[in-house]
Amino acid sequence: MRIVIAGAGEVGSHLAKMLSHENHDIILIDVDEDKLRQIGSNYDLMTMHGSATSFSILKDSNIHKADLFIAVTQSEEINITAAMFGKQLGAKRTIARIDNQEYLKFNYKEIISSLGIDYMIYPEMIAANEVMGLLHQTGMADLVDFSRGKLTMYVIKLEENAPIIGKTLLESTPKGELEFRAVAISREAATIIPRGTDRFEVNDHVYVITSAAGLGDLLKYSGKEQYEIHNIMILGGSRIGIRTAKLLGKHHNVKLFEIDREKAYRLSNMLENTLVINGDGSNMDLLTQEGLNKMDAFVAVTGNSETNILSSILAKQMGVKKTIAEVENIDYIKLAENMGIDSIINKKLITAGRIFRFTSAFDVSSVRCLTGTEAEVMEFVVKAGSKVTAGPLMDINFPKDAIVGGVIRGKNSYIAQGDTDLKEGDKVVVFALPSAIPKMKKFFN
Amino acid sequence: MLNYRLVFQFLGLLLLIEGIFMWLCIPVSILFDDHELLPLGLGGLSSIVFGGGMWLVNLRAHKTLNARDGFLIVSIGWILFSLFGCIPFLLSGEISSFTDAFFETVSGFTTTGASILNEVELLPHGLLFWRSLTQWLGGMGIIVMSLAILPLLGVGGMQLFVAEVPGPAPDKLHPRIKETAKRLWAIYIIFTITEILLLWIGGMDLFDAVCHSFTSMATGGFSTKTASLAYWDSPFIHYVIVVFMFLAGTNFTLSYFAFHLRFRKVWRNEEFRYYLGFILGFTALLTLILSFTEVQSLEESFRHSVFQVVSIVTTTGFVTFDYLSWIPLAGILLFMMMFLGGSAGSTGGGIKILRIVLILKNSSMELKRLIHPNAVIPVRFNRNAVPPDILNNVFAFVSFYIITVIIGVVVMASMGYDLGTSFGAVAATLGNIGPGIGLVGPVENYSHIPVLGKWFLSFLMLIGRLELFTVLILFSPGFWRK
Repeated sequence: MRIVIAGAGEVGSHLAKMLSHENHDIILIDVDEDKLRQIGSNYDLMTMHGSATSFSILKDSNIHKADLFIAVTQSEEINITAAMFGKQLGAKRTIARIDNQEYLKFNYKEIISSLGIDYMIYPEMIAANEVMGLLHQTGMADLVDFSRGKLTMYVIKLEENAPIIGKTLLESTPKGELEFRAVAISREAATIIPRGTDRFEVNDHVYVITSAAGLGDLLKYSGKEQYEIHNIMILGGSRIGIRTAKLLGKHHNVKLFEIDREKAYRLSNMLENTLVINGDGSNMDLLTQEGLNKMDAFVAVTGNSETNILSSILAKQMGVKKTIAEVENIDYIKLAENMGIDSIINKKLITAGRIFRFTSAFDVSSVRCLTGTEAEVMEFVVKAGSKVTAGPLMDINFPKDAIVGGVIRGKNSYIAQGDTDLKEGDKVVVFALPSAIPKMKKFFN
Repeated sequence: MLNYRLVFQFLGLLLLIEGIFMWLCIPVSILFDDHELLPLGLGGLSSIVFGGGMWLVNLRAHKTLNARDGFLIVSIGWILFSLFGCIPFLLSGEISSFTDAFFETVSGFTTTGASILNEVELLPHGLLFWRSLTQWLGGMGIIVMSLAILPLLGVGGMQLFVAEVPGPAPDKLHPRIKETAKRLWAIYIIFTITEILLLWIGGMDLFDAVCHSFTSMATGGFSTKTASLAYWDSPFIHYVIVVFMFLAGTNFTLSYFAFHLRFRKVWRNEEFRYYLGFILGFTALLTLILSFTEVQSLEESFRHSVFQVVSIVTTTGFVTFDYLSWIPLAGILLFMMMFLGGSAGSTGGGIKILRIVLILKNSSMELKRLIHPNAVIPVRFNRNAVPPDILNNVFAFVSFYIITVIIGVVVMASMGYDLGTSFGAVAATLGNIGPGIGLVGPVENYSHIPVLGKWFLSFLMLIGRLELFTVLILFSPGFWRK
């Protein structure tokens, strides 16, 4: 697939690298030549120096041959304009990154698509929604909902008190109909798909697919408790920070730290239910003074990954039960998880996951790139006559590096087992290691 | 950290390709019944066995390639090609000394065209064909070819491409290196076939047409005749060769645009305009000189002028006339042109027009900067300001080039050669031209150079083809540090 990407910022470069790795033809446009040179000399893609809203640059990039045009520069106006131009010049599909929730409202959908923009992505909002989900499921390191919560994949970090530690998968699986099932274990740097004899160990991150009814038992097995969150401290008045503070609204007690004085004033106007504090979030005295030890959750979303990691570790040591840190440097994610931070969010992975369904060779209804592992979890709709419908899962030679976790059939959801038969129209949740992703095409098309 | 296993795996593959090409010369040998089956067959076999072995042993190498590995692969790769490429010459006994065979093969792969053969016609057809083929392969580059046909090295391919393609910053024709390499080779092949047909129509026999097309598209300069192109007294043949030498010295990216009828892009390219300007200017000057000093028709003066100018500027090294028999001014002009070189992204060697123009522009801007000390005056090229790091790279290149020439002249002089011959030999080998001035002039050859001198000149040809940095970087201690 030929993909033109405008903007070599964090999100743009990550997409370019990832998509070039997946054997797409990538052309990356940016006004900053230094950034381009750095990426261009290390990755197999073409870079073009210039403005994404210039017709001549867009034409030079052969945009009329592009299957996808992704505008992810820093500025929403540039992205929207570039996407409109791109569509007019012949790009098949266009995606623009935006910074304004208004555009996502259903009423304006028609206007936007009539302008030639097929999809709008607002990474900060998705990230804020994820933070919200994590604050509601306090025991979990991460979660992904499928079909409005009919199935959910939770990521659980096993502590020493978890009853299943030392047991094999077979021993810990009850007989009969399952309500949840472990689909993967991430241990140190590797992610494995567990078989019957694999044992759970302390500090494992376990990926579990569960139906809504299974949540209680799941918590019991993993030794986790749910607790209510009231007091939340947010570090950094970044776009994610602002969205999160807005979503938490008046039902929670929210304190937001912003280092820049003028920005803090602006934020205090925007966020009426939030106490905005102007100060340096890495200043421990200030945080203690504002009652860090009484907080139920600590969300670090400054633009600086190091600050986020360090302050979250400090908060954890002060006794905050739930810490969430935004870590944009992908190499730090595993490290940060091992240092005891409960949940990590990453804007690039979020965006990459949303864009994946435009670039994949097979029909997939949703994808989430997970933090802390290279694997991805995706939702497919089963087509008539595809290979997965040929028989029970254990008989169709499904790749060993992927696993079908659950099935949503109409209003019901099931956990998949070896004897599960898939039918046309089923939605299935598949957990796949990177090596398995190209093989999915064969099974679902 | 260098990834030696992957380096050797890749080198193995390259040798495998070379072996296959050696075997492609066997049908020619059979056709002309020249009894060179054994040397070519064994040469190919050894290259295939050795390369295949190297490839298989290192098959499970870790697949990451960084810039340093790229430099190592390209430098060692070129030395290995030459080592294995000289096997047929040695086995056949046509070139008896290893030094001579190596010199001839390096001169082939680096598209220099400097020869140690006193009588080219004595070489059997199979070997002549292989000799021309080495130039053709070296012209666009075996590594670029391997990038086009081998399905590996997604990430590291860029490093290899940059290390082998001439010019400060190669252009891409397609987002993928593989596709870019394919397009470059496609243009190269199309040009070569067209030239073969035209020369054949013009009266050359097919074998000579193929060999000369190989060596002129590569800006190589090996001929199948001792007298080079002077052997044919056909204006048509001479003009055809001029046109294709010119095309070979043009950036292939521009030829690609021309194929797609985007001529504006070609004309807008500043390097191309300078390239054309230099050639037209020097041709006019030389024609003028010749028409006053030589007894020949105006057409002949023009033809020999344009041929020699294009041949030297593109670093091909074919000759239709002994330019040293003209008045000294003509010879000296041609010697100066040896430092120009073809365009970036062409098969030509030398300093390259792009670098010369950037240096000249920057120097004239410096005058302007002295008059307006506070003015911000960038060097513009193709209407864009040239970033300082590219300029630095160009200065470093030209400095290295000049230093190498000076050292080279001293080395040659220490072997007892006069100033003209020393300068001629160094400029002609470092610039991948072939014939120089003095005792290595157009009607002479390199056979009289002592053994040490031949190895030294082989080294110059190699670093000239790989544009100095790729090889010289291996001599910096930092390269080997962990």
